Amino acid sequence: MNHLKMIGFGVAALLLGSSAASAKTLVYCSEGSPENFTPALNTTGTSFDAARPVFDQLVEFDRGATTLKPGLAESWIVSPDGMTITFKLRKGVKFGAIRDFKPTRDFNADDVLFSFGRQYDEKNPYYKVSGGKYDYYSDMDMPKLVKSIEKKDDYTIVMTLSEPNVAILANLAMDFATIQSAEYADSLMKKGKPEQFDQVPVGTGPFTFSSYQKDAVIRFKANKDYWGGKPPIDDLVFAITPDPTARLSKLKTGECQVSTFPRPADLPEMQKDPDLTVMSQPGLNIGYLAFNAQKPPFDKKEVRQALSMAIDKPSIIKDVYLGAGQAAKNLIPPTMWAYNDKVVDYPFDPEKAKALLKTAGVTTPLDIDLWYMPVQRPYNPDAKRIAEMMQSDLAKIGVNAKLVTYEWGEYRKRLQNGEATAALFGWTGDNGDPDNFFFFLGCPGGKPAASNVGKWCNTEFDARLDKAKQITDQAERTKLYGEMQVIEHDDEPVLNIAHSVVYQPMRKNVVDYKMSPLGRNQFDGVDLK
Amino acid sequence: MIRFFLKRLALTIPTFIALTFLTFMAIRLVPGDPVEVRVGEHGISPERLEMFRHQLGLDQPVWKQFLDYGWHLLHGDFGTSLSTSNPVLTEFLTLFPATVELSAVAMMLAIAIGIPMGVVAAVKRGTWYDQVLMGLSVTGYSMPIFWWGLLLIMLVAEQWHLTPVSGRIDLIRFDYDTPTGFMLIDSLLSDEPGAFVDAVRHLILPSIVLGTIPLAVIARMTRSSMLEVLSEDYVRTARAKGLSPFRVIGVHALRNALIPVTTVIGLMTGSLLAGAVLTESIFSWPGVGHYLIEAISRRDYPALQGGIMLVSAVVILVNLLVDTTYGLINPRIRHGR
Repeated sequence: MNHLKMIGFGVAALLLGSSAASAKTLVYCSEGSPENFTPALNTTGTSFDAARPVFDQLVEFDRGATTLKPGLAESWIVSPDGMTITFKLRKGVKFGAIRDFKPTRDFNADDVLFSFGRQYDEKNPYYKVSGGKYDYYSDMDMPKLVKSIEKKDDYTIVMTLSEPNVAILANLAMDFATIQSAEYADSLMKKGKPEQFDQVPVGTGPFTFSSYQKDAVIRFKANKDYWGGKPPIDDLVFAITPDPTARLSKLKTGECQVSTFPRPADLPEMQKDPDLTVMSQPGLNIGYLAFNAQKPPFDKKEVRQALSMAIDKPSIIKDVYLGAGQAAKNLIPPTMWAYNDKVVDYPFDPEKAKALLKTAGVTTPLDIDLWYMPVQRPYNPDAKRIAEMMQSDLAKIGVNAKLVTYEWGEYRKRLQNGEATAALFGWTGDNGDPDNFFFFLGCPGGKPAASNVGKWCNTEFDARLDKAKQITDQAERTKLYGEMQVIEHDDEPVLNIAHSVVYQPMRKNVVDYKMSPLGRNQFDGVDLK
Repeated sequence: MIRFFLKRLALTIPTFIALTFLTFMAIRLVPGDPVEVRVGEHGISPERLEMFRHQLGLDQPVWKQFLDYGWHLLHGDFGTSLSTSNPVLTEFLTLFPATVELSAVAMMLAIAIGIPMGVVAAVKRGTWYDQVLMGLSVTGYSMPIFWWGLLLIMLVAEQWHLTPVSGRIDLIRFDYDTPTGFMLIDSLLSDEPGAFVDAVRHLILPSIVLGTIPLAVIARMTRSSMLEVLSEDYVRTARAKGLSPFRVIGVHALRNALIPVTTVIGLMTGSLLAGAVLTESIFSWPGVGHYLIEAISRRDYPALQGGIMLVSAVVILVNLLVDTTYGLINPRIRHGR
């Protein structure tokens, strides 16, 4: 028996040795456990990242960009009136097999109908499974926007809209629009285990799921039959490591090759380490101070401009963002295609600010409320500190700002109800389309919880916003968004503070990792030297 | 004896009820709404907010929510996690072995080192041995777990490469089933050469960190109890009879000195689990502590409530067990004298 065991060990060791030499494993130190593996049910980047290796969408973002490319839809045609989009689906796409399920058919229109149907059709058998909350589908206004999704034949899907909307293509590249296997769903329903559908994912993506242990590890294998070609690495492992210090240590010792969310304080050390690369780029976000255009004296644009000139933005960037932020002059970050670089930011000029206040007929001292968020956000590392700096700057022009804050949920609610006079807030983009940023300066239209927290409404801006949403010509849209940035600059509904810079640390032997402006961690196409 | 046990058992029932009530209320006093936490910057219409609240039963008056919760608890239903939609009990049971394994190893380490430390300090009372050992134990006791853990990671794992940084097993080399959830056992069952050694190496740092405080307490307790026993007549008699010092201390004195130490070890279970919350998050140890931290940040009420209840239940049961054993050993206790 002992001999047998010894031989067994020997053989196992040999096998292990040989497979370890040929198989390439990439370990990614992720920051937390996913809620589940169905993106339509989730709202967190952590969960999206964990499902992404397994899945595809009809339309996809280019790796490391916000531009769109065909995914499971090979091509699409938008009708001249912009009301219908016809998708031609890719043929011969296989779903990855897992231990409990071997697909018998290729991907087709039924999978598309199922995946979207689950999110809006109460008759879909999975509508209520796993809590049945489809936040993103609703947040992206899909229930209103999409009138119907129909199957013309096995490889043709027709989507009918309630009004023309170009940004919908970018929406369809988002994680909530992931295509899942209808056949797998059926088989689990028959077995009476529908919840497993969201825990053990089956998709058409570059990797297949192999196992998940909560708070410890997620394992994926390269999908050899992937329609886009087998990924260069063989195994992908998510080592769940919530503590940023432990993540850094593991990166240094080589226990993982790619890590995430470094602490700003650790960046200098990482950048000095010869074994590590730290990539960086401005995040797809904006931190701003919103003025309530419906409350005097902020209904006058001169007052808004004056306050913007009185605040020392460079000091805020330097002291609060600590180099991890880029001063913002427009609402959208410079990585976005419609960015208008011709806009010239307001200078820091307290004297001019005082004069402007006088022209606007405002007598000082003026008392205002300045709201700040109680939490740290990607676009604002320390809102309280920023508010304090603003307070002292404003005092110099005779404006006394009282600092106000609430618990985060309460803060957002009151802000969206328009209770604040001036408030720090911000936004992280979802899909890379400029509309996804500019929409929250659109006329609120009486919506009670609208994202337009300053309740600013400018008809010239709004007309362009509406028009830009309905045309497909990108040059034309760029022109419209460019003009909107000029209007915004002139009317100053918000003081744009900064786009935070995001950092991505990894080991030197990682090849061709592309940082996504959308904050996605993605490993297809990534190789190891 | 049975009466003693039943009396103790009866006492745990009001304890449980009070505990359920307190955790339930405490969690609701923490600012933050689980629905709002989910939403982020996205606006959400008041209707949908209401709908979610209704689905989760959060629109009910608090007393009714509490009664509902209690009713479900009585039926063994600890609720469903808001963030994962899995039953809390199932999630807890998959993570609990990791915590038990870590705590058990940490406790064994604390006992294995703490008792000899205390004995040596007592025997060498007043010498520099005593001073150094007791100095170490004070240091250990007052060591902030977080700092201590990070220090060890940086030195032992990062600089000297003696142990891995975190986790329970080398994820690249080993991928096998974990039927019991105890990595030490599963690694042996897996038949993968080297897996057991690797699992042990992963356990070293976290168990040192978690074991430090119990170690310090046990060492001090052993020392004082040992000193007391050493001055007793029977020890003097044993010495006078000419028994070897090893026999006198190791057998006669230690056996009696360990009785209060045993109680302390039992009582330490609670603080061990509290320490596990921090230790697990430093070392990415997928246990219950880690789970609770995650639940707090997501305002996952059912997960948090269920998790705290289950952890407390374990502590209460362990204490009941300790009391009973103690009562068995020492009849004076059970007769309340």
